[in-house]
Amino acid sequence: MHAPLTKPDTTRIGSATIAELRRKLPHAVLDESWQTPTQATITVKLDDLPNVVSTLYHEHDGWLSVMAGNDERSINGNFALYYALSMEGAEKSFIVVRAEVPAATEEFPSVTPLVPAAVWHEREVRDMFGLRPVGLPDERRLVLPDDWPEHLHPLRKDAMDYRLRPEPTGDDETYRFVNDAESETTVVPLGPLHITSDEPGHFRLFVDGEDIIDADYRMFYVHRGMEKVAETRMGYNEVTFLADRVCGICGYAHSVAYTTSIENALGVQVPERAQAIRAILLETERMHSHLLNLGLACHFVGFDTGFMQFFRVREKAMTLAELLTGSRKTYALNLIGGVRRDILGEQKAETLRIVSELREEVTRLVEMLLATPNLEGRVKGVGLLDPQIAREYSPVGPCVRGSGHKRDTRVDHPFAGYGRTTFPVHTGEGCDVLSRTLVRVGEFFDSLSIIEQILADAPGGPVLTEDFTYRPHKFALGFTEAPRGEDVHWSMTGDNQKLFRWRCRASTYANWPVLRWMLRGNTVSDAPLIVASIDPCYSCTDRVTVVDVKKAVSKTVPYKEMERYCRERTNSPLK
Amino acid sequence: MTRHITETDVRAAGPFAKVDMPADIARMKASLLKDIRRSAYVYRVDCGGCNACEIEIFASITPVFDAERFGIKVVASPRHADILLFTGAVTRAMRMPAMRAYEAAPDPKIVVSYGACGVSGGIFHDLYCTWGGTDKIVPVDVYIPGCPPTPAATVYGFAVALGLLGQKLKAETHVQADGERVPLAHPSIPYDLRVHIEREARRMAGYRQGGDIAERFLVMLEQPGIVPLTDRLAKFVAAEQDPRTAEILARLGEVVTGAIA
Repeated sequence: MHAPLTKPDTTRIGSATIAELRRKLPHAVLDESWQTPTQATITVKLDDLPNVVSTLYHEHDGWLSVMAGNDERSINGNFALYYALSMEGAEKSFIVVRAEVPAATEEFPSVTPLVPAAVWHEREVRDMFGLRPVGLPDERRLVLPDDWPEHLHPLRKDAMDYRLRPEPTGDDETYRFVNDAESETTVVPLGPLHITSDEPGHFRLFVDGEDIIDADYRMFYVHRGMEKVAETRMGYNEVTFLADRVCGICGYAHSVAYTTSIENALGVQVPERAQAIRAILLETERMHSHLLNLGLACHFVGFDTGFMQFFRVREKAMTLAELLTGSRKTYALNLIGGVRRDILGEQKAETLRIVSELREEVTRLVEMLLATPNLEGRVKGVGLLDPQIAREYSPVGPCVRGSGHKRDTRVDHPFAGYGRTTFPVHTGEGCDVLSRTLVRVGEFFDSLSIIEQILADAPGGPVLTEDFTYRPHKFALGFTEAPRGEDVHWSMTGDNQKLFRWRCRASTYANWPVLRWMLRGNTVSDAPLIVASIDPCYSCTDRVTVVDVKKAVSKTVPYKEMERYCRERTNSPLK
Repeated sequence: MTRHITETDVRAAGPFAKVDMPADIARMKASLLKDIRRSAYVYRVDCGGCNACEIEIFASITPVFDAERFGIKVVASPRHADILLFTGAVTRAMRMPAMRAYEAAPDPKIVVSYGACGVSGGIFHDLYCTWGGTDKIVPVDVYIPGCPPTPAATVYGFAVALGLLGQKLKAETHVQADGERVPLAHPSIPYDLRVHIEREARRMAGYRQGGDIAERFLVMLEQPGIVPLTDRLAKFVAAEQDPRTAEILARLGEVVTGAIA
C-alpha cells in the first residue's frame, strides 16, 4: 500500500476521494490542482484514464457530467481531455480527470467500455478535434453534418477560420442507424421536421407489429458552431448573450452556467444580491418550461383542453419574465460578475402577486389533470427507465429523478442563490412517464416557494462587481440545474480577452442516450409521449415512413396521423 | 497547417441556392392571397433554431394570443400549406430537409422568415455550420424580426403576410444644423462626480433601473437651496417608500459625501 502523496485537506471537499484514488491507483495521478474549494482537476497518465474515470464513477458515486476536448498544443504541445465527474457520494464535489493526448498519435483509450456515459462525448471529440478513441465501437459521426468533409475538425486551433463553409460533399443523408433486434423488424423513421414544436431530430423506430424493438436517432441537425464562435469572434461578456441562445427554453440556465464557469476560474466573488436574482430568474424559467411540458403531456394523451389551459396559465410565467428582465425569452441579463437588472420594490410586489395567482391556477389544473381517467392509463408503466441503465448513462433532471435517483444540482452543488433556500428533491419510484410528470409538478410548486423565500429576505448591496481582471489559461466548471436537468459548462480563458475553449453541455445531451431503452418494449403509439417525457427541447415528429421488412413495402404516414394515433389509439396507421 | 480563408470559402450560400420560379409568380401570389384571406394554413420549418421562436409561435396559437381567430392555422404537412414559416439560421444539416419541405408545398406559396436567425442569420450569421438565414436558400416574402419575435409581433407578421396590413417601415434622417449641439446633462454637477454616481448606480441596480435612479438623484442634487448637503440627502432617502430604492439612494449619497471629503 502506498501512502497518499498529499495529506487530505479538510477545507477542500473532494480531497479524501482523491487520496483514496491515489491509494488505489498509485502511479496514475500526475498532478492535482484546485479551481474552487469543491472543484479539483487531476492530471492522469493517458493509459490510466479509463481506470481512473471508472473508479471515480463506480466506487465513489461519480456521475459523468461532461467531457471537454481542448487543443492545448500552443500551451503544452498536446491535446487534452477533461472528464468532469459530479461526485455525489460522501463528499459532494466536482472532480475533473485530465489527460494529455500527444499531438503525434492523436489517440486515446476510450472510457466508454467501462463508463457508457462517455459515448457521446467521445464521439463528439472525434468529430471536433480528430482525436481517435481507441476501443470505442461506435464510429459514426455525432455532431458534424453528413455533408461535412472528412478530416476537417472545426475546433482545432489551426484547422480553419470560424467562417469557413466548405462545399457540401453531398445532398444525401448517410447516417447509419443501429438496430440491435435479433428478428426481423419494421423501420419507422420519424423526422427530422416536426410539427408541434421545436428542434429537428431524426428517429428510427424498429418495430415488430406495434411493439418497438429498438430505436436509434440522429441529432445535431441544429449544430451551428457556437463553441467555435465563442473563442474567435466574441469577448467574455458577449458569450453570456450567446449562451442565452443555446436553447430558447432554458437559455438563462446556460447563461448562468457559463458566467459561473468564468467566475469560478477567476475566483470572482459575485455579490449575493446578484446570486439571488439569478436564482429567481432560473426558477421563473423552470416554471414556464414545466408548464410547457405538462401542457404537452396533456396533448399527447389526447387531453387538449388541458393543453390549452396549461398554455393559458403559462403566459403568466412569461409575463413574470418580462417584468423582471424586459424580455419574454433570451433574458440577456448576465454579465461576468453579476446581473444587469435589479428587482425593486414595485417588481417585488408584482412578482409576489403573479406567484400567488400561478399557485392557485396551477393547483386547480393539476387536480383536473390527475383526475382525468385516461391520463393514468396512458402514462403509468410507459417508457420505463431502469434505474440501473440510468446509473450507467448519467442522465439528469426529472428524467433521472423519475427513476428514483436523488440528483439535483441545486442541492448537491449549491450555486447562485440556492444556498439560502430549502426545498425537497422530488423523486419517483415508478420510472415511467407518470413519475417524471409528477416530479415536474412537484418542482413547479417548489419554484414558487423558492421565489418567495428569496424575495422575503433578499440580501442588499450591489448587483455587479467589476473588481477583477482576466488572467490567461484559467479554467473551471460552471453548472446550473435547468428545467431539464444539470447544464454544465467548462471554460478556459485565453490570452487575448477571448475564451480559449468553451464546452457547453446541455441537459438534454445527457438524456438522449437513455431514450433508446425507454422506447424499447413500448408500442408505437406511445413513442411521441415517451420522447416528450424527457422534455427534450422538442417533443414530436413530422411524419413517419413505415418500412415493413417482412413485406418489403414502404409507406409514408403523415405525422398528424401518428399524433392522432398517439391520442386516440384506434385505427393504427401501420395496418 | 492553417487554412487561409478565401472569398470562395466564406460565401453567403453555395450554388445550390436556385429555386425555379414561375414567370407570373406575383399574379399567382396575389390571387392566392385573395383566396386565403380568412383561412391561411401555415407550416413551420425549423432550420436549426434554438426553440425560442418555436415556443413563441406556440404561444401565438394558444388561448392568450390565439392566432386561430384570424383563421391562421398551423398544419402538419407542407403539402397542406399556403404559408411556410422558416425559423433558424439554416444549419448545414437542415438545408436539404428545408429544401424538401419548400418543394413539397404547392405553388404559389408565401414564405415568411421568422426571428433574427431566419431573417439574417442573427448571432450565427457567419458561422461555419450555418448558411446565414432563410433567404440564402429560398426566396422570402415577409420578414418577422425579433429574438424571438413576441406573439404580438407574430400575429402582426401574419397579417402582413396575408396582405391585411402593410409592413411598417419608417425612415427619418436627421441632419445636424449649424451650431446644433447635444446639451450636456446636469452641467452644474462636476463631470467626474456625475460619472462616478452613474457607475455606482449601475453596479447597484443595473443599467435600466440604475439609470433612472441616478437621474432622480442628480435632479435632486441640482436643486438650489441652502439646506446642508447631508440633511438634504437624509431627507431625500427618508422620503423614499421602497426600502431597496432607499438603500441605493443612500449608497449614492455616500458616493457624493465621499467625493467631497
